Amino acid sequence: MKSTLQKFARPVIAIITIYLVLLLGPIAALDIPIIAASIAKNPSQLLQFLIIGLANGAIIAIIALGYTMVYGIIELINFAHGDVYMIGVFTALTTLSLTGTLTSQDPARIGLGIFIALIVSIAVSATLNATIERLAYKRLRNAPRLAPLISAIGMSFIVENIGLIWAGQSWLVPSFGTTGGGSQKEFPDLLSRMFVNMNMDPNLLANTGWGLRFTIKDLLVIVLAGVLMIGLRLFVQRTKLGKAMRATAQNRDAAKMLGIDIDWVITATFLIGGGLAGAAGLMAGLYNNTAWWFMGFRAGLQSFTAAVLGGIGNITGAMLGGFLIGLLAAFSDGYLNARWTNAWVFATLVLILLFRPTGLLGEQTGQKV
Amino acid sequence: MRHIRTGVLFGVIAGLLTFLFSGWSVAVMGLFAGVGLGLALESRLDRGSPSNLAKQVLPAALTAGAILLVLSLFQNFVVQPAIGKPSSYGNVFVPANIIGVIAIIALTMITASFRGLEEKWEKRAKMILLAVVAIAFPFIDTFTGLRWTSNVIFALIFVILGLGLNIVVGYAGLLDLGYAAFFAIGAYTTGILSSPQHNIYMNFWLVIWIAAGMAAIWGLMLGAPTLPLRGDYLAIVTLGFGEIIPVLFRNLIDVTINEPLTCWIIPGIQKMFGATSTVACINLVNHMDITAGERGINPIGRPSFFGYEFQSNNPTPWYFLIMAIILLSVFIIQRLHKSRMGRAWMAIREDELAAAQMGIDPIRTKLAAFAMGAAFSGFAGAFYAAYIRGIFPSVFDFSASIIILCVVILGGIGNINGVIVGGLVIMTADRLFLPALKDFLKGLMDFTVLPSLASNPTLQSIVAQNANPILYRFLLFGLTLVIMMAVRPEGLIPSAQMRAELHKDEEVVIDVEDNQKSKAKKG
Repeated sequence: MKSTLQKFARPVIAIITIYLVLLLGPIAALDIPIIAASIAKNPSQLLQFLIIGLANGAIIAIIALGYTMVYGIIELINFAHGDVYMIGVFTALTTLSLTGTLTSQDPARIGLGIFIALIVSIAVSATLNATIERLAYKRLRNAPRLAPLISAIGMSFIVENIGLIWAGQSWLVPSFGTTGGGSQKEFPDLLSRMFVNMNMDPNLLANTGWGLRFTIKDLLVIVLAGVLMIGLRLFVQRTKLGKAMRATAQNRDAAKMLGIDIDWVITATFLIGGGLAGAAGLMAGLYNNTAWWFMGFRAGLQSFTAAVLGGIGNITGAMLGGFLIGLLAAFSDGYLNARWTNAWVFATLVLILLFRPTGLLGEQTGQKV
Repeated sequence: MRHIRTGVLFGVIAGLLTFLFSGWSVAVMGLFAGVGLGLALESRLDRGSPSNLAKQVLPAALTAGAILLVLSLFQNFVVQPAIGKPSSYGNVFVPANIIGVIAIIALTMITASFRGLEEKWEKRAKMILLAVVAIAFPFIDTFTGLRWTSNVIFALIFVILGLGLNIVVGYAGLLDLGYAAFFAIGAYTTGILSSPQHNIYMNFWLVIWIAAGMAAIWGLMLGAPTLPLRGDYLAIVTLGFGEIIPVLFRNLIDVTINEPLTCWIIPGIQKMFGATSTVACINLVNHMDITAGERGINPIGRPSFFGYEFQSNNPTPWYFLIMAIILLSVFIIQRLHKSRMGRAWMAIREDELAAAQMGIDPIRTKLAAFAMGAAFSGFAGAFYAAYIRGIFPSVFDFSASIIILCVVILGGIGNINGVIVGGLVIMTADRLFLPALKDFLKGLMDFTVLPSLASNPTLQSIVAQNANPILYRFLLFGLTLVIMMAVRPEGLIPSAQMRAELHKDEEVVIDVEDNQKSKAKKG
């Protein structure tokens, strides 16, 4: 009797789940019949959302790398990481403004300005991230586990507030009108302007007649993300510092005994993570054309979800997770409703943590004792 | 010497706060600072005769009184003109200062002399003193016209929230970053059950229990699947829930539920075989506006007490209502803390594996902590909804959860007195002192600083724009968390009982064992 029950348990649970999704899904905009009809009506839209999802996913993936590296080494959720990325956006915007790039029409000048902004925002974000580690986490390295997490939340609030003040300084962040809420600043669409001024169409698929938009922005974001990820992987695999990082992640005490300067390795990890966040900040600014002091919170949670989805501590996993979360958010924005996207991302996070806490590519480890 | 240092600290804090509120505030500050200084000194004194003890603290009390007087005079004759207000000489300033200085000196000595009583009577005397201050406060407030009560009520709401979160974080050692979700559930339950939104008008005294029960049920529902997770993962999952709940309340404005079998599945199959649909679609809920989204639910019904209707313009009855709820909560929590369940919570916090070996069911124990913690925020939510009369989803976002966490951490994790002090300090700072500081700085800017910067208009505009302390709210909360974690992780008032119970030299913060375990694993 029991075995028969067990045999039927799984399909019955599956059927009940499907029924409940069909019944209750529409409350949270997950109306499968309507979505199916909309996909059948306009299949190329699916491709369009795929492109948007990949580009956003690339940005999420780069931020997720910072989370995953830090977690790998000191087992801390660096809560302030998303806000470091937000500071990257504002640094980029301010640099572009101070170098006069924002108002320039000359393509070469815009290109140079973007390059300078990339360097500056990487430098600022990296320094900020390492400073945060120094101020808030270093002395808590041997404290109870939740102490550094609480400290990290505090740091996140502090950095968010810095962003809020920064956004209010009209001499640093010029206002080109606001998008959405009052405190949201517009980040001018420089890449499209550069292309238009070079007499090229920013949409690379304009002449194909597929009705799709794959702009220079999408291309830049995806290519830059790919380059950064491959670079990071090579760095961790091939260089001496990368080796030291892996050793520290495996066993901090043993690494110390072998003469590895733990403090420097941890600082370097935070520098690299912060630098990646800064690069992501510039890319996100150019891609989404908005700068907001609170954007780091949402981006941080999405990329943390991505890191967990891929298996936290795993660099390839973070990239994979980033793209998946980007796609999820894009499809949710497109087919469900943007109002519910956050809820769906968090629901994904909860479900992964409940059913596969090690993530897609993480190794299955037993209960830590 | 240490006593005098404490006296200086209290005198300076009280004196500086009079900068923000002129008039009678000196007297009220003297009163509070006297009680606070007395209690702070009292616990450090050796037992002796009351008069001797009073003599011991006399230097500290005099120092505090002198500092308060000097700062108050400075405020009246130097600061007031600088912020563009007249100095006062007349019938408020003189009595306020005399009362303030006498209050701080006398109350310090009286409170400190309680140490000379028998232990049982010492405790009772302190309770009576605090009760007198608490009961007298709204009347003093009305008399002096300071209008602090409505802000203090907010502080007391956060005290209840802190007490509830303290069960989860302090007693059971589970970091909950989405605690405001339960606050929201309590508030929305009240809103839905006593407002024109659904034309239901239930009695407040019934709704407050339903709200607490609802929050507890949600605590169980959210806790059951998540509690097996480890420390920081649990924190993130609770954060996720804490974010989903406001999204729900924001978006449940047009809910339509169609039964899928009759609406999609059977007609779909029939269509596949070319037949026309024969079943009628069962529509369970049709375009229902459950939570009113960003518009919020209002007006929410107010409680009445034996025919007395609570009014918005008179905060005093609300003050006593929330005081009663706090007393009830403190009583329940103290009993819980000492009960079998409370001891099980602490065992789980200290070492989950060992506790499980001793026959404690970890999941059930943690679930109980989650549900109990949630129930108290249900109380707070119900009171909040009735007091404010309108609830909006943006109140319950992540920052609310973190503010409640700040309350617990500043005061002292695991300690009821600490949480009460933490809640009062943080929320009065947030709702009372920051806005007052904003007005103060604005006056200072307009009358003193900006005219002196007239030669440099750019700098002038930058200074004018940024001299608004409200802008730095999050910074202050963040600093509270970071500094407390770095300098004094056990909080301002660490729990003495816990230390005594556990016979440990050092205060246990959350889960020391977790850290040791991971070290042992690595080593």
